[in-house]
Amino acid sequence: MSVQLSVGQVLPGFTTHLTRADLVRYAGASGDFNPIHWSESAAAALGLPTVIAHGMFTMGLALRVVTDVIGDPGAVVRYYVRFTKPVPVPEEGAEVHFAGVVTEIADGVATVSLEARLAEQAVLGAAVVEVRLD
Amino acid sequence: MPISQDHAGCSYPATAPYEVTGAKIAEFAAALGESDNPAYQGTDAIAPPTFAVVLAGAAWSSLFDDPELGLSLARTVHVDQEFRWTRPLRRGDEVSARLTIDKVRVRGTGAFITVSVELATTAGEPVAVASSTLLHQGVAQ
Repeated sequence: MSVQLSVGQVLPGFTTHLTRADLVRYAGASGDFNPIHWSESAAAALGLPTVIAHGMFTMGLALRVVTDVIGDPGAVVRYYVRFTKPVPVPEEGAEVHFAGVVTEIADGVATVSLEARLAEQAVLGAAVVEVRLD
Repeated sequence: MPISQDHAGCSYPATAPYEVTGAKIAEFAAALGESDNPAYQGTDAIAPPTFAVVLAGAAWSSLFDDPELGLSLARTVHVDQEFRWTRPLRRGDEVSARLTIDKVRVRGTGAFITVSVELATTAGEPVAVASSTLLHQGVAQ
């Protein structure tokens, strides 16, 4: 671990512009070809306004808030999220903002609470990462 | 018979062994926009933590391929996800994934399904556990 973390520390956030191409790339990389991530009609059949980002994609992106700071992504030991709101990705794309704050350090493990927002709406709930600090 | 509480405790056979390659790690890192992270490069590359979904996803197919459960991927929404890692996945690892249905809660025509997938090397070393709640939205009868 190359960086010291302290309770209350706000980690640098970032904003990403998600496009349909990003969803297709993630589908291929992850092997998740659920049509609700690329087919308007499949999304509509579930009552969605348009195709949505893979929840796992949003989860993976959010973790960068932590891994960009700690240096060794192998130090991540636990990661939980609830997918509280879908992230619709229309033709013109969608801007998602990610942020994080260190909430606890105990027994050599730092806990980071993550946030992912689409406009002002949280799309991940109870997102928590635990990182080993040795 | 559609999925019900009676399926809690069901386990499926482990997926076919999967080799974690440098190229696949690079592809996954690129999809997450972190091609520049040195941890994901070179002969001793590790995989991004959420790469575990590549394996977990293969195991989730067991659910959708089981005709007895009557589940459709297109009618399924991911409610929550947890990963617990014993160690990172590394380039050259040969791993497989084994899915267990932990809990089923039927609500109307839909069902909340809690599953866990154990990732282990083919030599039997545990790597990670991926636990998910899935919501399957049924078609009104």
